[in-house]
Amino acid sequence: MRHFLVMTAFALMAAVVFGTVAKNTPHERLTYGLKVFLEFMAIGLLLSWVLYFLPF
Amino acid sequence: MTTAEMERVSNHESAPARAWMMGLAGWLVPGLGHLLQGRWVRALLLGATVWICFLSGLSMGGHLFSVGGNEQGLSALLQLPPMIANLGSGVLYIVSWLFGVGFADDPAHAARATYEYGNTFLLVAGLLNYLGMLDAFDIAAGRKA
Repeated sequence: MRHFLVMTAFALMAAVVFGTVAKNTPHERLTYGLKVFLEFMAIGLLLSWVLYFLPF
Repeated sequence: MTTAEMERVSNHESAPARAWMMGLAGWLVPGLGHLLQGRWVRALLLGATVWICFLSGLSMGGHLFSVGGNEQGLSALLQLPPMIANLGSGVLYIVSWLFGVGFADDPAHAARATYEYGNTFLLVAGLLNYLGMLDAFDIAAGRKA
């Protein structure tokens, strides 16, 4: 559970900064930040499952 | 400022001294570069994120890198890239260095379960602040709305 919380905190912080410095309008920034957050979470979960099945 | 004006500024004029000052302020104190330009929402978001990320990293037992440690030769050189990333945190790194917080090479410290998380958070705090610094510079130089 701790790993998931740390990953979520990391994704949230990266998404806030990426969303703040990118794009032009507040709506675009919000959408982009949300997209970055979800991508971080999805890729993190995917990689964790891939690594879980690796025998080494 | 219109898009055409911004393009003219970015293509034909060098960045004004004010832009360099804003970039420097943004690097030194996370969020300050935007705050000085009246972008307080951006300042709050960027500054708070970098501060929280750095302090979380320290509280998780992360390690701050410096070139002048005990390492010799190539090993010392390998400390340079993470040190550059850490240095992005500006005053947070400098104060930690002055007080010796986070720089200890202690095996017991490194054995903590959250040690690697802490390292990553400290590195990323600096890198995110570099992004904020560049954003503050671009806004002051008129390259960004």
